[in-house]
Amino acid sequence: MSENKEEQQSGFKRHGNNDYVAQFSPEESEVLVNLVEQIIELLGERTDNHSDDPLAAMVGITSHDSPPDDDVLLRLLPNAYADQVDASEFRRYTELTLRAKKSAHAMSMRIDLKSSPDGFIEVDHDGANAWLGAMNDIRLALGVRLKVQENSYEELEILAPDDPMRGVYAVYSWLGWLQESLIQALMDENL
Amino acid sequence: MVKLDEVTDTKIDEALKELFNSDKPWVTIVWDDPVNLMTYVTYVLMELFGFSREKAHELMMQVHTQGKAVVSTGSREEMEHDVARLHEYGLWATLQRGDQAI
Repeated sequence: MSENKEEQQSGFKRHGNNDYVAQFSPEESEVLVNLVEQIIELLGERTDNHSDDPLAAMVGITSHDSPPDDDVLLRLLPNAYADQVDASEFRRYTELTLRAKKSAHAMSMRIDLKSSPDGFIEVDHDGANAWLGAMNDIRLALGVRLKVQENSYEELEILAPDDPMRGVYAVYSWLGWLQESLIQALMDENL
Repeated sequence: MVKLDEVTDTKIDEALKELFNSDKPWVTIVWDDPVNLMTYVTYVLMELFGFSREKAHELMMQVHTQGKAVVSTGSREEMEHDVARLHEYGLWATLQRGDQAI
């Protein structure tokens, strides 16, 4: 796990009893929309070109039971069992549902951003949880691409200015800070 | 009366054994992950399992320092449900029989 060491600027704040608000710049909103749309696309990928039995798909059963080839998808849709036979069986009956739930989080975040031209976001408790889930999925995806390990933060902090991963790491860090601000706002309520 | 042949008999035996063993305890394990924030793991455990902040923090620290922690115990079906919910929020979780070595 990681600890967020970014300094608090503003991010999400509690507003009243049940709402959480944030103000994003147009650039920040654009980055968030781009990232969340990539997650939505990624989560939809595997079923798009699949000739699943529509009835089976309707009740959430897929014909594929192998883990995803892509490292990012494998992290987002991990095996539930160490045993491969049990893992495949579980995946066959649950992967579609998991994709749908993750997509729902991402789409909720996307709609909040798209429906706010001035970058002001206000979410309730459920909306906040959807944002947390979606932001976490984005960070997991970026983390795989950045090959984040328990102690790799020192290395990532000193990436060369021309390293393409430097920008990715900046976004990853910013998202961690944003996620942390929302968690803190939510946890205040639980004190 | 219908007579059961030996093959069917064995299958029924196995099915019954599975049925009667189904209340044997299974466990849900959360594994350490370099990306998930410590506070996020605590928050998700509080939200999904209704743990107190102290209990959730304690389990999170166990995951962080020992690499894993058992977060729930119950039937196989219940643990599959818990793992699915943890996966929904991006925690790395698996289930297994409680008497297996972790």
